[in-house]
Amino acid sequence: MKTYDIVICGFGGQGVITLGNLLKLAGIKEGISVSGAERRGGAQREGGVISHVRYRILEEGEEFDERRMTRSGLIPSGKADMLIAFEPLEAARHCNFLHPRSVAVMNTEPSPPTLVRMKKYTYPALDDLLGTLKQFTPFLYPFNINELSRDYFHDFQHISVISLGLAVGVGDIPVSREKFLEVLQERFPDFEGNRRGFAFGLRLGLSARNQG
Amino acid sequence: MMDGILSREAGRRILAMGNEAVARGALEAGVGYFATYPGTPASEIGDTLIAMRDYIPTLYAEYSANEHVALHGAIGASFSGIRSMAAMKHVGMNVAAEPLHFLGLTGVVAGLVLVIGSDPGATCSTTEQDDRWYSLHTHAPILEPSDIQEIKDFTREAFGLSERFNVPVVLNVPSRLAHNAGDLILGEMPKQRGEAGHFVKNPVRYFNLFQTAVENHRRLLEAVDRMREYAYQSPLNRVLPGSGDWGIITTSVNYGYLLEALDLLGLYDLPILKIGISYPVSPALVADFLSPLKGAIIVEDLEGFLELQVKKAAYDANLTLPIRGKDLFPRYGELNVDLISQVLAREFGGEDRLEGLQIADRAKPIIEKLPPRTGAFCAGCPHRATMYSLMKATRRQEVYGGDIGCLTLSGLPPHYASDWVTCMNCGLATCQGVSKTIADQKVITIVGDSTFFHSGVAALVNAVQQNADVLLIFLDNKWIAMTGHQPSPTTNLTVDGEKVSGINIRELMRVLGVKYVRTIDPFNVRAMMNGILEALEVPGFKVIIAERECSLQADRRRRRFKPEEDVYYDIDPERCQRCEECYIEFGCPAIRSRMEGGEEIYYIEEATCTLCGACKSVCPNSAITKTEVRSKVKVSELAGVGSG
Repeated sequence: MKTYDIVICGFGGQGVITLGNLLKLAGIKEGISVSGAERRGGAQREGGVISHVRYRILEEGEEFDERRMTRSGLIPSGKADMLIAFEPLEAARHCNFLHPRSVAVMNTEPSPPTLVRMKKYTYPALDDLLGTLKQFTPFLYPFNINELSRDYFHDFQHISVISLGLAVGVGDIPVSREKFLEVLQERFPDFEGNRRGFAFGLRLGLSARNQG
Repeated sequence: MMDGILSREAGRRILAMGNEAVARGALEAGVGYFATYPGTPASEIGDTLIAMRDYIPTLYAEYSANEHVALHGAIGASFSGIRSMAAMKHVGMNVAAEPLHFLGLTGVVAGLVLVIGSDPGATCSTTEQDDRWYSLHTHAPILEPSDIQEIKDFTREAFGLSERFNVPVVLNVPSRLAHNAGDLILGEMPKQRGEAGHFVKNPVRYFNLFQTAVENHRRLLEAVDRMREYAYQSPLNRVLPGSGDWGIITTSVNYGYLLEALDLLGLYDLPILKIGISYPVSPALVADFLSPLKGAIIVEDLEGFLELQVKKAAYDANLTLPIRGKDLFPRYGELNVDLISQVLAREFGGEDRLEGLQIADRAKPIIEKLPPRTGAFCAGCPHRATMYSLMKATRRQEVYGGDIGCLTLSGLPPHYASDWVTCMNCGLATCQGVSKTIADQKVITIVGDSTFFHSGVAALVNAVQQNADVLLIFLDNKWIAMTGHQPSPTTNLTVDGEKVSGINIRELMRVLGVKYVRTIDPFNVRAMMNGILEALEVPGFKVIIAERECSLQADRRRRRFKPEEDVYYDIDPERCQRCEECYIEFGCPAIRSRMEGGEEIYYIEEATCTLCGACKSVCPNSAITKTEVRSKVKVSELAGVGSG
């Protein structure tokens, strides 16, 4: 059995749950078994949100073995193959999921929590957050996706789909690009915009990956 | 993801979240009546079934005023021969507990299933109470599915069991399953559904009084005894055989965690008893499982509901093997793979295989130092403006009752505007008690529209009758916003712009005898502050209605109908004195800060701003301006990446 586990994190309103569903719907189209829990408490209210996406693929001729192949809804520590973070502080907060071969895609646009605004905490420098994550995996792909969306698409509606393209580009998600496009076409408005956003992120991801 | 839920294609694999699987299971069982009061983690059960009304004309489904009403409605349908279901979050059971205690006595006609969204770890609740303990006195059997597929299959099965044993059946779905989305293989939908019900009189069961109640109590206990016998053979309980001399008993979401933990540890030979019917647990099943073993471990969330029944069964069967459970696992919070694998490694070895735990140990001190992200009102939320006005006007000196809903967030930084929060309508009635006993502080409380109609009318009537010296600020945002915008009794405009009739709070207050009522738009901060100060000068009970629709709904409608609108708010860096009024005290998440030329500047982040304009009335320096013509979008000079 092959598995691929993804943790998506951010805060309410950013599209964490939507991206998780998109990854799962494409997986189902690919014929892959999917599961994964979400934490939605405060999902629309600036609180932290996390979505676990777990792919499970049986090899040809392999029978399902309940004892060895059952995967729960929550990815255990050190078992995420990919982290997609919509915010740098949230990326660092989920470093426990990373293993030394994990790939982390991260939006570097900071959003200070209330207690930072109130000066009870200091928002860590971006380099420090990246340094923290590097202690867990060398495969970090930081981008300011807000800026990319604004500069290339003149709005902020493309952040999620660019993130998806980036993730597909830099990682080994076991779902073909066509299946993602099918889901985007069937489930979301403005397919053309989303297709372009996905292609943009994908190209950026592939190029970042090749540069190592 | 709702489209697949209606499919008639049995065997088809769809993506469904746990709550949608509940809805599908009910549809497969031919449910004809459904009622809920929305509460996370159970909210989407209702959202799904209520959306299905348009496609299944014989399905009646409603958002009820509260859980007590929801369950009573389901009882009426069951008495009339229609399969019915009520869904609620765990604390909803406290409200529905009264009818549930009688439902065992009256019994059911058509199957009645009560779905509870439980919440170990309090991921979306003010408590993590374990509703399973209720069954020690309601005697409602409990089914506990362990994954999405079982949620659907058990739901479907529950209706039949309810009819067979003439009792209501509780389905326990913890938040981690309710909000797990994954594969679901569909079953058959009923061919014919929805013949009209017929009420058959049965006073011996339904009219509980004196000796009838005692007789029905006897009947209920006998029904549970029969259910206990059934549980011995039921396929809902299952043994995963193994040659090990220690065994594990588990249920619900922990079955998945357990198997994954054992896989990490490389332990494949421990026999496992997977309990699907956690009340009544079959003593014979437990005895059969335990008798060849040297010891057993019970893996379950919270305070040990299975453990109590398992240990009793072992005692009655004269089994003296060690049974471990809550001496190994915490009685609070939720279990997970990390925790279970760690505990089992201590008992059975294999710790060296748990690299993930070593990573978690390294990560823990790092994560603990990071600034926490507390929830906050959404950008543009009218509650933020109201709470800001309240705390500014009263300088944090008074007593502030809190309540349930989005407005619960008022207790968090930066507002700290709720001195307590427990259950629905904990604000006004508690405040009345405070007001009658103190003299040196004013007493102010808040409530939202849906929470008020859930169970607050009695508190209000009481406050009027006793003339409690309390200011109630009624935050009427027209929706049950916290759980995903279900309509509330005051909803008067749908998100599509369609007018619907909502209750007029002002008139209701008048009818109930409130003498002092003012309606103020929260976005007019100055008017709200003055209004609060004026009201506090008036002795006795008074109400301010802070009326303004939930910003998420208003913003959705704005985007849908006015996409050409081109307005934005800006902070003029020349005028801005960095006084922190908008950035900290008001604390709208759309107002951000960045360093520019070694100096901190505040700015409004366009992607987040909903154009409510409240910050403009907060700024003492008139630095926040509304602009109707958009400045040119900067197109990055970075070329070469292109937009494929």
